[in-house]
Formats: sequence, structure tokens, C-alpha cells
Amino acid sequence: MTLKKLYLLAIAMMVAVLLMPLGAQEQQRKVTPVKPSTNKVLTPPKGTDEKTIERYLTGDTTSLRAQEIKDSLARIYPHYPALTEMWLGVNFADGLLKVFGQKYASFDFHATFNMWNRLQPVVVAGLGVAKDTPDDMNFTYRGKLSPYFKLGANYNFLYKKEPQYQLYAGVRLGFSTFKYDITDATVQNPYWGEANDNFELKGNSGNALWGEMLVGLKVGIASNWALGWEAKFHGMFKEKKSDHGMPWFIPGFGTRGGKWAFGLSLYYTIPMNRDRWPAKDEEKKKLR
Amino acid sequence: MRRLIYIFLMLVVGCFLATGIVACSNDNCMGNSNGIPLAAFYEGNNAVTLPSLTVYGIGAPNDSAIIRNSSASQVYLPLRITATTCEYVLDYNGTEIDNDTLTLNYDIIPYFESRECGAMYNFDIKSWEFTCHAIDSVAIPDTRITNADVVTIKIFMQ
Repeated sequence: MTLKKLYLLAIAMMVAVLLMPLGAQEQQRKVTPVKPSTNKVLTPPKGTDEKTIERYLTGDTTSLRAQEIKDSLARIYPHYPALTEMWLGVNFADGLLKVFGQKYASFDFHATFNMWNRLQPVVVAGLGVAKDTPDDMNFTYRGKLSPYFKLGANYNFLYKKEPQYQLYAGVRLGFSTFKYDITDATVQNPYWGEANDNFELKGNSGNALWGEMLVGLKVGIASNWALGWEAKFHGMFKEKKSDHGMPWFIPGFGTRGGKWAFGLSLYYTIPMNRDRWPAKDEEKKKLR
Repeated sequence: MRRLIYIFLMLVVGCFLATGIVACSNDNCMGNSNGIPLAAFYEGNNAVTLPSLTVYGIGAPNDSAIIRNSSASQVYLPLRITATTCEYVLDYNGTEIDNDTLTLNYDIIPYFESRECGAMYNFDIKSWEFTCHAIDSVAIPDTRITNADVVTIKIFMQ
């Protein structure tokens, strides 16, 4: 490259550097000017009570905004105490169905602790009994009065509502130890001419461990009383095996082979820490 | 008012569920009404049909046969419930082969199967003997005889 060309290149670069600010000024001229907001008035939302409006007028808007957000969250997520209430219930579904001809029944008492109006540990204790001589069959089944127990928990989907309305899903782990007899069993063996051979299987004992998944609805009917039903899907985890067969009825579980069960309960509710419950909308209005 | 609607819905859905759950109970017995062995005939690993077979139990009243002059690939062999041994004769009619006998020795087990199938006897086969005119061997893979409708005795023919 010759010296002359180097001079020309240097001059061109200098001209370019000198013209760059002019180009930037051209761009600035194209920017649309924005009028700054200098007179914004913070207004309280509709329905705000007078005390709050007064605080607005005094200019204390920052703390008011914080309070409003807190109140709004409290409305969306009402905070119930850890021990909101306790329910004591009796399941009488089988008693009702027994009137209509069901041959077995499980009666249980249950205690439910409603925590934060969401999580609800449940303890169940009950007794089951069965007696059946099916038509056209060859035996009488007697399930002796035997105990059963269940442990579990519910999750209340209506945790934002008052505790008297509950729509929940839950799980249970059930256990029963029981005794049963098979009597009046007749077996026919026509080929060998050995008709009506009788036998009895008395003093059979069994135990069973099973699980349940359920959905339920509970509604307050009057004062502290409530009614509720549960639809349960259950399956056996473990069962004592016998050389002489399997029980037809398992207290608390129902009949063998059945996958579904139904519960209908009457509850008595004992409120706890009532002073720490979130105020109802009507109560809030009264306070204002 | 809202509470009444809740209660009404609760009762309606509850009744619907209770009715459905009661109606869903299964009341069919899928097996036999008593424990009974089912014998099947094989040549090697293949099931065969014997063209003219008579099978009867020794001591059965009136010499009654379980099957008589019939083609059969399987036959039920009912066991006695007042004795612990049963002897059967297999008569291959129309052939020059002598009859075979099959003897089963067993224990009787009173059993409650289910509400649908009822009370019955099951059997534990303790031993078995047979003659070998047409029979090659007899196998009983599962010696507990229940009311299940499955092959429990495999008779392999020569």
C-alpha cells in the first residue's frame, strides 16, 4: 500500500468519526417525548369503609395498601387455627341398609380433627356382624360381633368456606380381627349317591388389613349437628389364610370381592379456638 | 336456602351412590359347586380325544358311568366324600386294549368358597396308582383339588 492511499484512508476514518454524533442527534429527534405523571391520586377501592378512607385522606397510603393486600389474601386464604374443630360421628349406613334386607352391618364411631380447615386426621372404631342363609345355597354364615379400627386423613377442598360445608377426599387404613362360623352346610354328590352330607366349620378366625380411598360431603344441618356421606373404594392388603376357606364378611370392610362401600354419618361438631377463626362476611359487615 | 340446596344435593347423590354400590355386587359363581378333578388325555405334549371311552367308578350305585361310549378329551372324576379312596375304570370300547384303572387316595377338606359358590369339599391328593394297558403315566401337578374348572389330572396315553 502506498503512502498516498494510507493518507486517504486516515482522512476517511476521521470524517466518519466526526459524522457519528450528528447521526445520534438525528435519532434523538425522532423520540416521542413522554409527559411524566406528576399528579397521580391513589384512591381506595370501592366498598372501603369510612375509617380506611379517613386514613387515605391523611395521606397514609403505603401502610393502607399493605393492609389491603393482607386483607385480600385473608379473604382468598382464610386462616383457620391448627385445631379448628373436632367432629364426633356415627356411621349408620349399614344400619339403614339392614332394614332393607342387607345381611351384614358395620357400625362405627369416628373422631375427626379438623386442622386449618384443610387436613383432617380421622380415627374410627366399630363393630361388625353378619348372618346370612342365602336362598338356594347350602350354608348359613354367621359373622360374630367383631371389632375393627381405621386410621386416616381427609383433605377438605372447601377450605375457603365455613367448616360446616366440607367436600373432601381421604384415605384410610383399616384392620379387623374377627370370628365366623359356617353351619348347616350340605354337600350333594349324586354320582356316588352321597347326598346331603352335612358339615360345620365353627370357630374360624381371621384378620385383615385393607386400604380405602374415599370422597365425602358433610353439611351442617342444625347448630352443631351435621350429616355426611362417603363413597369408598377399597382393596385388601393382607389377610390371614385358612385351609377351610375365606370369610365372606370382614367387619369394617364389607363383603369379600366388593370394591365399593358407602357410609352415611351423623356428626356432632365441637368448635375449638373459635376466637381465632376468620370473621364471616356478615360479621365483617357488622363490625364496620 | 343455600344450606337446603346442599342438603338436598347431599341426599340425592348419597342415595344414588348407595343404590349403585348395592347394585354392583357380584353374585355369580365362576367355578363348580364342589371340588372335582378334571382329567385330560395327552399323547406326549398334545391333548388327544379318545374315540369311544367309558369311565365309571368302582362301587358307584347302579353301575352308573361317568361317560359311556363317548369320545372324550377330558372327563370329570367326582370323588367320594365319605371315603378317602376312589377307583375308576377306563374302558376303551372297540379296541383290544384291556381296561385301565386309576386309583386316587386323598384327604377331604371342608371348605367355604364364597357366598356365591357356597360350602363344599376340597381334596388333597395324597397318592395315585394306575394300570398301564393304554396309560403311559399320570401327572397331578397341583394336588389340591378345588372347584376351579381347570385340568388337574393329566393322563398320558401310550
